[in-house]
Amino acid sequence: MKTLVFLEHHEGELLKPSLGVLSKAASLGGEVAGVMAGSDVEGLAAQAGAYGAGTVYVADDPRLDAPLPQPRVDVLAQVVQAGGFDNVFLAQSILGADIAAGLAARLDAGVNWQLTDVRADGDGITGTQPVLADTVVCEVGWTSTPRIALFRAGALDASETGGQATVEPVQPELQDFSLAAEMLEQAHEESSGPSIEDADIIVAGGRGLGGPEGFAPLEELAKALGGAVAATRAVVDAGWYPYSAQVGQTGKTVAPKLYIGCGISGAIQHKVGMQSSNVIVAINKDPNAPIFEFADLAVVGDVNEIVPKLTELVRARKGA
Amino acid sequence: MSVRPADFPPPFSAGEFVTEPSDPAHERIDVGVLIVGAGPAGLACAIRLGQLLEEAPGVAERLGDVPVAVLEKGKQPGSHLLSGAVVNPGALRTLFRGRLATADLPFLTRVHGEGVFYLTRRRALRIPAPPTMRNHGNFVLSVSELGRFLAGHAEEGGALILPETVGEQLLVSGGRVVGVRTGDKGRGRDGEPLGNFEPGSDIVARATVLAEGTQGHLTGVALDRFGLQGESPQVWALGVKEVWRVPKPLRRIIHTLGWPLRNGKRYREFGGSFVYPMGDDMVTLGMVVGMDYRDVELSVHDLLQELKTHRLIRNIIGGGERLAWGAKTIPEGGFLALPSRLHGPGVVFCGDGAGLVNVPALKGIHYAVESGRLAAEAVFATLQGGETAWRPGALERYDESLQSSFVWKELRAVRNMRPAFAKGFWRGGMKAGMQTATMGNVPRGNARLERDAEVPLIRSNRAARYPAPDGTLTFDKLSSVYASGNRTRDDQPNHIRIQREVPVDLAELWTRMCPAQVYEVGDPDGEGTVEVQVTPSNCVQCGAITARGGRLTPPEGGSGPEYTLT
Repeated sequence: MKTLVFLEHHEGELLKPSLGVLSKAASLGGEVAGVMAGSDVEGLAAQAGAYGAGTVYVADDPRLDAPLPQPRVDVLAQVVQAGGFDNVFLAQSILGADIAAGLAARLDAGVNWQLTDVRADGDGITGTQPVLADTVVCEVGWTSTPRIALFRAGALDASETGGQATVEPVQPELQDFSLAAEMLEQAHEESSGPSIEDADIIVAGGRGLGGPEGFAPLEELAKALGGAVAATRAVVDAGWYPYSAQVGQTGKTVAPKLYIGCGISGAIQHKVGMQSSNVIVAINKDPNAPIFEFADLAVVGDVNEIVPKLTELVRARKGA
Repeated sequence: MSVRPADFPPPFSAGEFVTEPSDPAHERIDVGVLIVGAGPAGLACAIRLGQLLEEAPGVAERLGDVPVAVLEKGKQPGSHLLSGAVVNPGALRTLFRGRLATADLPFLTRVHGEGVFYLTRRRALRIPAPPTMRNHGNFVLSVSELGRFLAGHAEEGGALILPETVGEQLLVSGGRVVGVRTGDKGRGRDGEPLGNFEPGSDIVARATVLAEGTQGHLTGVALDRFGLQGESPQVWALGVKEVWRVPKPLRRIIHTLGWPLRNGKRYREFGGSFVYPMGDDMVTLGMVVGMDYRDVELSVHDLLQELKTHRLIRNIIGGGERLAWGAKTIPEGGFLALPSRLHGPGVVFCGDGAGLVNVPALKGIHYAVESGRLAAEAVFATLQGGETAWRPGALERYDESLQSSFVWKELRAVRNMRPAFAKGFWRGGMKAGMQTATMGNVPRGNARLERDAEVPLIRSNRAARYPAPDGTLTFDKLSSVYASGNRTRDDQPNHIRIQREVPVDLAELWTRMCPAQVYEVGDPDGEGTVEVQVTPSNCVQCGAITARGGRLTPPEGGSGPEYTLT
C-alpha cells in the first residue's frame, strides 16, 4: 500500500496537523511519501523525514508561491499518477479541503472528510468519521482508489520517528486554467500566539468573565503559557471576542493538551467543540456548573482573582 | 396596570415581504404549481398533483419543465415537522387509494387502549375519555418520518423538492400572487454579504399553494395583503415534546389534564400532556399549553420536566434515555379563526397554516392531508380548463370542496370549545360537554377569541418549583436545543422581530416562554424597562414569539432544528 500525504506549510514551517496525518500514515505501514508545493520550500521537505516520510516530492516553483488550491491539484494529480499511490491523505484546512475536492474531481476518486482516525483493513483502509454533531461515530470506506482522506485538524498527534526522507524534485506541469486565479492580497488576523487549532494550550473565556475587559487577564495567561485564547458562543454573540476564536458546535473544534475554561458554564454546544482536550481545567464560581461534570480539575472560585495569580505563578516558574 | 404584549408590537410590516418579480426573465425559475412547505399538507398536494398530471400528460406539458415544485426551509423534508402524534388514517388512505395499503404507511403503533387522567402533584385519577378524545383505530406516528415518506412519494410523482430554501417574499403583480421570492443565503450579522453569499430567486408559478404549517410566514403576509383575516383572531398553544427509549413497552396512549397546570381562573392555564407508544421500545411525551396563559414565569419546557417527575410518567420512562426533543406552536382558534376565504388570487392556504386543527380531538394532520389533496384537485381543475388561477375567484372551488368535506363539519361542531376554557378548567369542561352532547348546536352563536398577545400578564412564584435539571430525567433548555439537532450558523442576521426595550415582565415572559433559550432579560435602562438579549441561532422556529408580541421571520434556509423522530 502506498500513501501520499500533502504537507501544508505556512511562513517557513510545516503545519502540525499535516505532520499528525503523516505520522498516522506511517503507522499504517507500507510506503509513505509526502508532497509539498511552494516556492523555496526544499529545506522544509527534509524535516518531514523525521515524521515518517520515506520520500518527499517537492514542486518548487514561483508560480506555486501563493497558497492557491488549483495548481496544487495539478501537482498532486501528477505525483499520484506517476507514483501509483493508493491513498492520498490531507489535513483539513481551507486549502487542504479545496485540494481534496479538486483532486477527487480530477482523478474521479472518492473523498471521506472530517476523519478523526484511520486504520489498515486488509488491503485497504477504514476511516473513522464522527457525524451528527459528534454524537455517532461511523466507519467509512472507499469503493475505488486512490482513496482521498481529509483529517480533522488536531485529531492526530505528530510523533517523531527520527527517520530521513529522500527529497525528490517534481517538475510541475500546471494547466492554464489552474493559473487563472491570482492571489491579490493575503491578510493576517492580528494575534500574538498560535491559532486555537494549533495551540497545545487553550485558555477559554465565557460569560462568567463579566465583560470584554475580562479577556485581558486570559490573554496574559495564554501568553505566559504559550497558548491561545478561545471563547464561547455567548461571548462572541455579545461582541466581547472575535468569531474566529469561537469554540463549539457552531465554531471550531479543538483538542489541545490543556484546556483551561474560565467562567464557562459548559453547555453541550461548547462541550462538543473541546471535549477531546487531554486535560480540562475549569474555573467557575458556580459549583453546579455543568463543566465540572467533565473537567479533570474543578476550581470553584472567581476567575478574576484566580487567573492573574495563576499567570504570576506560571511566569515565576518559567523565569526560574 | 399590568403589561400586555400587544402594547409592544414588533418592528414588522407585511408590506416588507410583498414584492414584484425583479429578476431578469432568463434568471427566473418558472414552475407550474409552487407549494411552500414540505409537510403533510404541501406534500399531499404534490402527490395528488402528480397523480392527476400522470393521467393528463397534456396538462403536465403545458406546465413546463417543472410542473410541481415544493420549497422546504429545513435541511430536508421532515426536519421541521413535530407533532404528538395520533393520526386518523382516513385522509392518507384516501390520498393513496388504489396505490398503497394502510400497512405501507409509516405508522408505528395502532391505538388499542387509552387512558385519560386528571393529575394532582401526587395522584393520578382516571377519568372517562371525552368523546372527542377517543382514538380507537387511530395510529401513532412520527410526523417527521411521515414527511420523509411523503416526500419520497411526491418526488416519485415528479415533484421537485427544494430543501434549505425559504419562501421569504410573496411575489405579487397586478394584485395577483405570481409566485415566491426565496431568501438570500450567506449574509452576515448586519446583513452584509459574506464570501458564500447567494441571492434568492424569483420562483414564478401559475398557482401558489401556501402549506407552511403553524405561523406560516407568507401565509400571514398573504392574509394581510388580501384582507382575509377570519371572524376571530388566531390563537395558539405551545407544545414541547421528547422522545424516549424505554425499558418496557407502553401498551396504551395516555392523556393527562390538571397538574402541573393550575386550575385557577386567574391563571388561564389550558392544556395537558400526552404519552404515546412508538413501537415497543420508544415513547413520546409532551406538554401543550394555550398561549393565552398569564403568568410570566410559566415555561412549557420546564412544565414538561416537572411532569416527568410524576409517578405516572416516571413509571413509564424511568431507566430510559431521552432521544429527541422539540417544540412547536399549534393553531388553536379552529373554525372561528379560519381565514374568511382559503384562497386569494393565484394562491390557496392549506393545513395548519390555514388553522385547520381540531383542538378537542388534538388532531390536524389528517386535515392537512385532506386540504392539500383538495387544493391539488382545485388547482388542477382550474389549470386543466385553461383558466388562469389568478382570476379572482378562480380557486373558489377549493373553498367549496373543503366546506363540503368532513373537515369543515367537524371543525364547525367543536368551534366554541377552545374559547370556553378562557374561563378556567371546570367551567370550560362543562361547557365543552354541553357542546359535545348537542353536536355544537348549543350554544347557537359563535364565541369570540382574544389574541394571545392581548392577555394581561401577572407574575407568581411559579419558577421556583421547576425541578433542577439532572441530565437524566430532567433537562435544561440548551441541552434540549442540542438534542433537537439545531446547528444554525451564528453569524447570520437576526430573524426575530421584537421590541428590544420592554418592561421587565414582558422580557421575563419571553425568556421563560421560549423553550430554546433565545431570550434573556438584560440590564435595566433606568426608565422602567430592560434590554432583551437575543440569541437567534438557538431558535427552533416554534413560533411562540409571534403569538406573544413578536414576529418570527424565516432565517436562512437550512437553519433550525433537524428533527427525525418527532
